[in-house]
Amino acid sequence: MTRDELNAHRLVKEAKETELRSFTRRHFLKESAMGLGAIAMGSLLGSCNFGAKTNNPVLYDPAHPLLPKSPPYFGKAKSVIYLHMAGAPSQLELFDYKPELMKMDGQDCPPSLLAGKKFAFITGVPKMLGAQAQFAQHGQSRAWVSDNMPHFSTMVDEVSFLKAVSTDQFNHAPAQLLIHTGSARLGRPSIGSWATYGLGTENQNLPGYVVLTSGGSFPDAGKSIWGSGFLPSVYQGVQCRSEGDPVLFIKDPHGMSRDLRKASIDAINASNELEYANYNDPEILSRISQYEMAYRMQISAPEVMNINDEPAYIHEMYGTQPGKSSFANNVLLARKLVEKGVRFVQLFDWGWDAHGDGPNNSLNIGLKNKCRSTDKPITALLLDLKQRGLLDETLVVWGGEFGRTPMMENRNGIQNPYNGRDHHTEAFTMWMAGGGIKKGFTHGETDEIGYSALSGKVDPFDIQATILNQLGFNHEQFTYPFQGRPFRLTDVSGKVIQDIVA
Amino acid sequence: MILLSISDLIGRFHPILVHLPIGILLLGCLFQLISRYPKFSGLKPAIPLTYLLGFLGAVCSCISGYLLSQSGDYDAGLVDVHQWLGIGTAAFSLFSYLMIQKAVREMFLNVTAAVLLMLITLTGHYGGSLTHGSDYLTAALGDAPEKGASAIPPVVNVQQAMVYTHMVQPLLKNRCYSCHGAEKQKGKLRLDSREFMLKGGEEGKALIPGSPEESALIKRLLLPISNEDHMPPKEKPQLSAQELALLEWWIKEGADLNKKVQDLKQTEKIKPVLLSFQTGAKKEAGKVLEIPVKEVGKADAKVIADLKAAGVVVIPVTGNSNYLSVSFVTARPSLSSLTLLKSLNEQLIWLNLANTDLGDKGMEIIAGFKNLVRINLTQTQITDQGLVQLKSINTLQYLNLTGTKITGKGLLALKGLKEIQQIYLYQSAVNKQDEQRLKKEFPKAILDFGGYQVPTTAKDTTEVKPAAAS
Repeated sequence: MTRDELNAHRLVKEAKETELRSFTRRHFLKESAMGLGAIAMGSLLGSCNFGAKTNNPVLYDPAHPLLPKSPPYFGKAKSVIYLHMAGAPSQLELFDYKPELMKMDGQDCPPSLLAGKKFAFITGVPKMLGAQAQFAQHGQSRAWVSDNMPHFSTMVDEVSFLKAVSTDQFNHAPAQLLIHTGSARLGRPSIGSWATYGLGTENQNLPGYVVLTSGGSFPDAGKSIWGSGFLPSVYQGVQCRSEGDPVLFIKDPHGMSRDLRKASIDAINASNELEYANYNDPEILSRISQYEMAYRMQISAPEVMNINDEPAYIHEMYGTQPGKSSFANNVLLARKLVEKGVRFVQLFDWGWDAHGDGPNNSLNIGLKNKCRSTDKPITALLLDLKQRGLLDETLVVWGGEFGRTPMMENRNGIQNPYNGRDHHTEAFTMWMAGGGIKKGFTHGETDEIGYSALSGKVDPFDIQATILNQLGFNHEQFTYPFQGRPFRLTDVSGKVIQDIVA
Repeated sequence: MILLSISDLIGRFHPILVHLPIGILLLGCLFQLISRYPKFSGLKPAIPLTYLLGFLGAVCSCISGYLLSQSGDYDAGLVDVHQWLGIGTAAFSLFSYLMIQKAVREMFLNVTAAVLLMLITLTGHYGGSLTHGSDYLTAALGDAPEKGASAIPPVVNVQQAMVYTHMVQPLLKNRCYSCHGAEKQKGKLRLDSREFMLKGGEEGKALIPGSPEESALIKRLLLPISNEDHMPPKEKPQLSAQELALLEWWIKEGADLNKKVQDLKQTEKIKPVLLSFQTGAKKEAGKVLEIPVKEVGKADAKVIADLKAAGVVVIPVTGNSNYLSVSFVTARPSLSSLTLLKSLNEQLIWLNLANTDLGDKGMEIIAGFKNLVRINLTQTQITDQGLVQLKSINTLQYLNLTGTKITGKGLLALKGLKEIQQIYLYQSAVNKQDEQRLKKEFPKAILDFGGYQVPTTAKDTTEVKPAAAS
């Protein structure tokens, strides 16, 4: 090939490529006008809502995604503090007093309890294990609490116990997903995302949904349990830290002044506004508002997340130590955030998985230490909210993702070195307090060894329905359109636990 | 035995099978009636075949229907009418087929089609009455009960109500009779009289006065809804917890037909249940204290917009209410913002001024918010002089004075406010010694002085250590 031929060849190739490139999305739209028209027609007809009584408007205003909104119904609770004990605390060492189980301690498990059941680790015939704690009745409601929670036992007249919670997932991650997102599989929005999507948040200088973790590890299901799923991503939980910067990179870098920061954010937003003028994509508006919020948060977040300036008696009450990362610090932060108008605060405390395979995973050592690190702060939280007049509008939820077996775990058929219990889905205890929940009440009971529910059985969907109910939503009407159908947190089930609603 | 259950099985196909001849014969009649128009005359040859197929279908339906009627679950009188109409329809469809073969006059064939049409309609109607109950159609015309509504009509004074006639019977009627009544007796059980209940059905006595836990009626109701034997069947409306409790209580107390509620022994547990059947109980339960009952007009949208621009959170208390909740969580309660609020004084019922620099000057404006229900003044600069401004807001229920300079004397100045339910006084200047006096003046209120402590014990600061290996 001569040089000229080669050049000509290249020119032709380039011309062809240019021509191909000129087929833009616009051409595609033009060419397929008919087909797209029909698709559009379909969605237009759909939105005519033939015969449907209620339509569920999308509550999302992209320019101001977090502005406060009123709930459709009266909701006693304005905010929620959800305390999740990741790993699943043993109800049999805390709240579910079973003297009959004590009598069976050390005996072989009756075959009737094992027939047709599957456990995460138990194989063969395990031994029964009586409570590894002393129980007593407390308060006017005479609720049973073990000596693992000496402080909390003074609070029983403020809470409603759910003694017969059940789930259908016996592994940590799916069970955590189920209780927080309504599905054992990934991809659904978490309950905090639903709440902020539906209600926005009062304080525009802070995130509406804050997540705090402790215990040295993330919950097994990872960050997806505070993810926003198919809801717009502004509604996902914002993870804050109680040690160091509350949010990573919240401080301006060295040498950057506040004015310069403002100028650079203004410049970014100005160019984003140009983009919006061109494309009208609502996500661009969200982005602009997020930049603005981030700028405001640089001042407000370190302020609210700083517990150094709290008075000494508050530190004494919660057992907090500023500068450290601890559950107690997180609990105090939760109170401060709620006071500042944050809608949903979620605390995950890892390390409750008392299998008995090691000292820190045992009922006599690990569990007791977990109780010691959470008992005082949780009690302080309830009392502090109460004395500030906030408990009646703040719903506090405590629980794990499932319960633990009345049998001692025998992993692979061999007795574990320490006292421990396997995962158990059929009955475990949770409690709720404040936010329009009955005081000093117990709902549900388990059989005489705490193996299965006798009455008042509730599942994660019922709990979600109740939380939404307290916030002012009918969980059956609170939906978001996705993939051609309305989705809701409780999907196709869930019943508000009316018995515990005051 | 197996033969019996096979015939039973075939019988159960009847409700599906009947639709076959109905459809085919209706089509036949339609063809016959429209084939007189030249445009549809091409349909003529199809008519005899349609009638013949319809006839065969009708025969199958008759056989399965007869087998189903042998179960004895249905009202014998209605079954009789339905049966003979069905057989009549089958016979008449054969007759129609033969008439066409004979090529009689077109007019005669049209009349035949009309008669057949009528027979199908009547048979279908009676069949429907058997499965859905004879009042199925007319019930839609009357005032149909609200979906999910209670099966027991509310009574004016529950203590004076007849337990059976006014409460138990309507409950059974609305939830049970359609399958266990005069028309249908599933499982050979009738519940429409005490005698029938005592006699029971295939499974034995439905009712054993005095022991609800032995009565099949209660046992079946108590089974989890996922259980096959649970009653009512899971696709039918269920009994509420209160209705179930009432039924249990009635049986426990002897299942008497002629006693009033007040004549039976009432435990602490049943009292609230009984009260819930009283007129207005539902309204009472759904009443929200924090939102006034009386209606109010819409607030000025421009004022709301101005307030929002100033950073004040203004939202309706619920989606469909004109009453407003206002919060200064991220705004200063400057006099200008508070003055703006003045024009919302009808609608404003919840006001949050916590952690702001609100002083006594601002309280003078707040004095005009006459419908205020909740006010949070935590950590504000107000003094007794400012607080007294609230004294004419009779609707006030929630008063939060945490961390203010308010004294007992200042609070007593509000003693005319009898609706107050909650007063928070943590870290205020109100003395705990004044508690008794304050309690007297605010009879409905919970006074919370706060200052709770959670004593640190040795256990809180130490860790449990594993025992040293021996």
